[in-house]
Amino acid sequence: MSAFGQATLLGARAVREALRTPESLIPTLLIPLFFLVVNVGQAGKIFPAESTGFLEGQSYAAFQLPSSILLAASFGSAALYLVEDIEGGYFDKLRAAPISRSALVVGRLVAEALKSFLITTVIILLALPFGITIASGPLGFVLLLLLTALWAVTYAGFMQLIALKSRSAAATNSGGLAFFPLLFLTPNFVPRELLTRPMEIAASCNPVTYVMEALRSLILEDFDWATIGIGAGVLGVLVVIMVVLNVRSVNHYD
Amino acid sequence: MTSSAAVEATQLVKTYTGRSGVVEAVRGVDLRVAAGEVFGFLGPNGAGKSTTVKMLTTLMSITSGSARVAGVDVAAEPDRARTCIGVALQEAGLDPRQTGRELLILQARLFGRSATAAAERAKELLALVDLEDSADRQIKGYSGGMKRRLDLASALVHEPQVLFLDEPTTGLDPASRLTVWEEVRRINERGTTIFLTTQYLEEADQLCDRLAIIDGGVIVREGTPAELKTELKQRRGLLADPTLDEVFLDATGRTRERNAGDVQEVSP
Repeated sequence: MSAFGQATLLGARAVREALRTPESLIPTLLIPLFFLVVNVGQAGKIFPAESTGFLEGQSYAAFQLPSSILLAASFGSAALYLVEDIEGGYFDKLRAAPISRSALVVGRLVAEALKSFLITTVIILLALPFGITIASGPLGFVLLLLLTALWAVTYAGFMQLIALKSRSAAATNSGGLAFFPLLFLTPNFVPRELLTRPMEIAASCNPVTYVMEALRSLILEDFDWATIGIGAGVLGVLVVIMVVLNVRSVNHYD
Repeated sequence: MTSSAAVEATQLVKTYTGRSGVVEAVRGVDLRVAAGEVFGFLGPNGAGKSTTVKMLTTLMSITSGSARVAGVDVAAEPDRARTCIGVALQEAGLDPRQTGRELLILQARLFGRSATAAAERAKELLALVDLEDSADRQIKGYSGGMKRRLDLASALVHEPQVLFLDEPTTGLDPASRLTVWEEVRRINERGTTIFLTTQYLEEADQLCDRLAIIDGGVIVREGTPAELKTELKQRRGLLADPTLDEVFLDATGRTRERNAGDVQEVSP
């Protein structure tokens, strides 16, 4: 069986695992929606749709939506389940099988991408009644799902790295919190050009900024291929780095 | 090596760097297990049993020396070696959210069987370990004995030539332990070589054709249980036949005292 076939089998197992623990998906949905409601509640009046140019005629919720989507995509449970496999001995059972080492880590990442499709779709559907529309239309919606899934793979890959190195649930869990500083060092509340100079520099150094701007452009505008291209490029590089580091880590796992 | 050796290790060494410096977990182990044998690998906690098993089963890198299982060099051709080896480690390596049947089918598919052949093999194995009635329940609801039997079954999906069992009965009640012993005998009767680590000397006495005792990362005794007992009886000039416990305590330099009905190991 090819490495792709093996990764698919392990990915299907990871999806089954997620479906059997629906309770783990609830915070993944509720916390990002909570942030959306609170952020819009706090800053919505400052940025009325009619007089705020960067909103492109939509509500401030549309501007905030990418933050919530990215937050949800960063709540992947792949690494925690991986630690569980390591602690319970199942990871060794899989390592003792004549399968590609890459499949061991890629399978879970594929499953994380599929879960991200589902969760992002639900968040967007829940946001639609609040006057949010996807300005780039159905194709833009699909692109939005794809880019978000790539971010989910990136962040799950980062968490899996911690899991493989630490083999500890506590350390892996703490790794999840690293997303919050990354999220707050982005043009989260206003576009980058409205940030103070130090914040603008920090945001420009943060890869999440380019992903967020790509998602935001798909929600607020018709296709802005330059912004989308930069976001997709950043994600492409991050996914490759994470997959390479994960494969390297599992190859040296002793 | 001769063609009949199922497991052969030559000067096997494992060192790693821990918090307290360099640790020599295994310090030059030589082993030879004939095909079809049940071989017992005994030793106190921390003696190097599990480390040796992990090296022999490709799960841990070898610092120096060599190891061949079913004639395959485990370091040079790990994937080929994996097709000849079944592994059930100390922790029953199971995914609690899968059913017993799903776990066996996935394992069989990862060993290259088609979906139909994997389902068929899972059915056979569930019958072998008497888990047909619980096959479609999630593993998290299984008892310790059921988990251990399923773990054994999952190590057999590809009909391995050599089965490594690392403390397969630790933590089991006496009835479950006897069931596992029966399974091990049945598997061995089908021609599979068994390499078994255990802390239970009675288990080794009951199951093993030959055994080795490891202590401090080196082999300190090797032979059949009868040979080892005879050797101790003659060397010490004992009147009664010694037990395997006494062989073990003699080999590892430990003594024991009875205290309020409990057996306690006391280092010299």
